[in-house]
Amino acid sequence: MIEIEHLTKRYGETVVVDDVSMQVGEGTITAIVGTSGAGKSTLLRMINRLIEPTSGRVLINGQDTMSIPEDALRHRIGYVIQGHGLFPHRTVAGNIATVPRLLGWDAKRIAGRVDELLNLFQLDPAEFAGKYPHELSGGQQQRVGVARALAARPALLLMDEPFGALDPVIRSKAQDDLLTIQRRLGTTIVLVTHDMEEAFRLGDRIAVMDNARLLQEGTAAELLAHPAEGFVERLVGTAERPFRLLSLASVRDALEPGFAEGEPIEVSTNLRDALSKLVWTGRDALPVVDETGAVLGRVGIDGILAHGRRPA
Amino acid sequence: MNAPSVQAGPLGASPARAAISLDRLGGVVALLMGLSLFWLPFVTYRANRIVSGEPRLLLQALPVAAVLAVAGILVAVAGIAAFGRRSTVRLGAAVIGLAVVLPAVGFSAGYVMPPENGFARVSPASGFWLLVLSLGLLIADSLTRLRFGPWARLAALAVAAGAVALLLASGAWHDLSLLKEYATRADSFWREAERHVFLALGSVVAAVAIGLPVGILCHRRPALRGPMLQGLNIVQTIPSIALFGMLMVPLGFLAAQVPLAAALGIRGIGAAPAALALFLYALLPIVANTVIGLDQVPATVVDAARGMGMSRRQRLMQVKLPLALPIILTGIRIVLVQNLGLATIAALIGGGGLGTFVFQGVGQTAMDLVLLGAIPTVALSFAAAVILDAVIELTGRARP
Repeated sequence: MIEIEHLTKRYGETVVVDDVSMQVGEGTITAIVGTSGAGKSTLLRMINRLIEPTSGRVLINGQDTMSIPEDALRHRIGYVIQGHGLFPHRTVAGNIATVPRLLGWDAKRIAGRVDELLNLFQLDPAEFAGKYPHELSGGQQQRVGVARALAARPALLLMDEPFGALDPVIRSKAQDDLLTIQRRLGTTIVLVTHDMEEAFRLGDRIAVMDNARLLQEGTAAELLAHPAEGFVERLVGTAERPFRLLSLASVRDALEPGFAEGEPIEVSTNLRDALSKLVWTGRDALPVVDETGAVLGRVGIDGILAHGRRPA
Repeated sequence: MNAPSVQAGPLGASPARAAISLDRLGGVVALLMGLSLFWLPFVTYRANRIVSGEPRLLLQALPVAAVLAVAGILVAVAGIAAFGRRSTVRLGAAVIGLAVVLPAVGFSAGYVMPPENGFARVSPASGFWLLVLSLGLLIADSLTRLRFGPWARLAALAVAAGAVALLLASGAWHDLSLLKEYATRADSFWREAERHVFLALGSVVAAVAIGLPVGILCHRRPALRGPMLQGLNIVQTIPSIALFGMLMVPLGFLAAQVPLAAALGIRGIGAAPAALALFLYALLPIVANTVIGLDQVPATVVDAARGMGMSRRQRLMQVKLPLALPIILTGIRIVLVQNLGLATIAALIGGGGLGTFVFQGVGQTAMDLVLLGAIPTVALSFAAAVILDAVIELTGRARP
């Protein structure tokens, strides 16, 4: 658990982060979202002390980060930045081995860990371990950047616009992969983005910042249902709200008993995609199946729309 | 001129009409070779080492059979230079040309020299030099077009050095004036050559030892950068003779006041001021390139290194310096080549080195003696440039 308490950063007269307090739960993803210059990167960089706070403190599992030497602190916290920041003079394996080497792991343990991570990120060790960063595609570079940050099994991962340099198709795949890996490893992630869509997609909780202040922090549903007036409302997008709500729920939530004609939908599909399919095929309902293809019931247009209504 | 039957340009005519195409540079090389073969003197004969010489054309410089063989082969090489299209063939032809011309000049010396005459001198003349230059041009051009990798270039240099060593050891050039000058000075030649390399290399090593930390300091403290680089820039603009003069007074004073300095061989003239001057000239390129090399390391890479918990020292040693290395090495290449040449001037203030022969030769109007100092200097600079270029390319390989 990470506790941020009254964190403030001032450069002369300019306040970049103004008295921000929040908590990040174990094994969750928190997305800090806001326009550029809102102070979100500064907030993130104060967690691993790349920027020293003017006042306030950060506790990791109850321990004040100021009581840990800064390099030792950063060895325990993964860090991923936009444009990956891979070392151009080191191979993929060398890059991933950076923190384990700093920690003095033995060569065998490092090699094992590098292989394990490459496999986890679907990069064949035989092919990729010896390559240099400039020989990789943008998506591969990004994956190596995340693998490098996870090398020493940090409990916390900080990501600053990690998908900013990717084109939309690759970005969407990279976001899915990150979610899969995070669910598997249970890593706590704090992620900075300016893209509300990305925040909704990845964040268990979303923190909205503007003009150095934390305006609102809560789950995606809370933000959609009760956005703080003004900036958060605009950012959430009034017209988009029902559809965002739908994308947070899955077909399982709207499952009805009964039978329907047509091409079946998987039960894990989100309701936004299910609605889209219903509208496109011109049907009122479609059958629902589980991963094995067994029919569970049906999902109807009214049932879906009920989930997009303003929550009480 | 109407409807030219040959097309100029390295790429030649379109394939359909490309039966004969003239290579532009090759054409010039062929022309120069023809000129030097038939109109310019191949060697110069002199009754002794300082009188002016009598030029001898190739026709007069070798027995008839040898003239025919040499001229025949070189005309063929010239033809390949002008019309050959494959770089490997052109390279091979040029190498064969050199393999004929170089021993021929030595053989010619023995042929022209009257028997039992210890004072007579035969030296290569303009025709020979122009031939070697043309063949050298052809080799350089072919090598450029073949785009050899660093290892292949190093191997080519080793082969060239081996060939020259073989030629010298075989005694084929024994009768040439240059080698006669060498024979009378063999001891001092190697001593001065050693001194020369020591002055040039030593000053570069010292400049790297001092310049690298100074460059790192300038990179860390931008306030230092301007004054430091300005100061070194001013040193760079002082002519070498003036710098020697300026160093004489303080070093002489030091030697007079500090017995230890004098015991170490530090004096107002000699090797000490020469080494110090070369060191000062070497500082600017090394400091400047270190600063530039460190500055161009991408900020995201440094940020990532910091974010992963690398200390300042680890960031410098493991990230910044390796990424700056090719640029720093470029600085070292510049000063090494520069100092190998500049070290010749050291002879002026009694610092020794190959310049000794150059200045003696100038004093005695003995051109051969000048060449005895100049040719090894040029060869050393050339070899240093080739070696360091290859090293720079090898260290810079793993980058986009």
